Amino acid sequence: MMNKDEGIPPGWNYNPATWGQRLPIIGLAAVGFGIATYLSLYQLHVFPTIWEPFFGNGSQKVLNSGVSKLLPVPDGVLGALGYLSDAASGAIGGTRRWKTMPWIVILFGLLVGPLGMISILLVILQPVLYHAWCTLCLCSAAISVIMIGPAMDEMLASLQYMRRVKDSEVSLWKAFWGYKSVQGKVI
Amino acid sequence: MWAQIINAILGIWLMVSPAILASDKTVANNDHIIGPLIAAFAVISWWEATRVVRLYNLLPAAWLLLAPWVLGYSDTTAILNDMAVGLLVIILCFVKGKVDARFGGGWSAIWGKDPIHAQEAARQPRV
Repeated sequence: MMNKDEGIPPGWNYNPATWGQRLPIIGLAAVGFGIATYLSLYQLHVFPTIWEPFFGNGSQKVLNSGVSKLLPVPDGVLGALGYLSDAASGAIGGTRRWKTMPWIVILFGLLVGPLGMISILLVILQPVLYHAWCTLCLCSAAISVIMIGPAMDEMLASLQYMRRVKDSEVSLWKAFWGYKSVQGKVI
Repeated sequence: MWAQIINAILGIWLMVSPAILASDKTVANNDHIIGPLIAAFAVISWWEATRVVRLYNLLPAAWLLLAPWVLGYSDTTAILNDMAVGLLVIILCFVKGKVDARFGGGWSAIWGKDPIHAQEAARQPRV
């Protein structure tokens, strides 16, 4: 069947795991990684100043704030690691990975989706707690939010596949990890 | 999708309006919290697979209609601003827009009974 060759999930009219679908998200994650790396290098005192075109000392306030230091490493470092895992989990696997490796697709969805919403929390905290805005932090948050929508369709395809696995009483565990022994048993 | 672009702009407007309207702290905090939420949910719903997320904005938008009275806003401009944005966002939430792609029954097909993707899978020959 044509659907099999092209990796289009049943009941869909396109394949959410093609490179055309995934590369833009990986690209956004790479830009996010660049921004977060720059911010964390400032937080780690590698760079003495931070680029802030609009909000005066806003970036300084935000990037040296209590919230940014809540964890053992500055929040910029975590952001950079987050974007790196977004890019990696977006890149791993072939164009039928929604079926052949559900674990990576679901991990990708969780990294981009729920973790992306943390950036919204940080956007809220900037003005409410510190009366300051940080331009590059806002750019990073915008990238995180833009990535969510296009990443979710692939996760939906994987979750629907897992549903069909459950209905056909094939091992969910083996299907989730993409065991060769269960490949092809469920469409 | 145009409706959700406008909702995203309305969310961003809430984020900047305290500075433009010189709002007091209560109004500013409320707008600084609700604005990013509305903008984020609107942006997520730009894509067809997540268009349903536009409805998440009903809650923060409904709060904008109540907030001036619950939080006791004293400034008429701020009352009008929050209530107008809230009302617009609620109306635009219901504009679904064009969805061309098929998603095997969508998100509810993960748990719903006899979902479309399973029906179509049953019709496809096995290898």
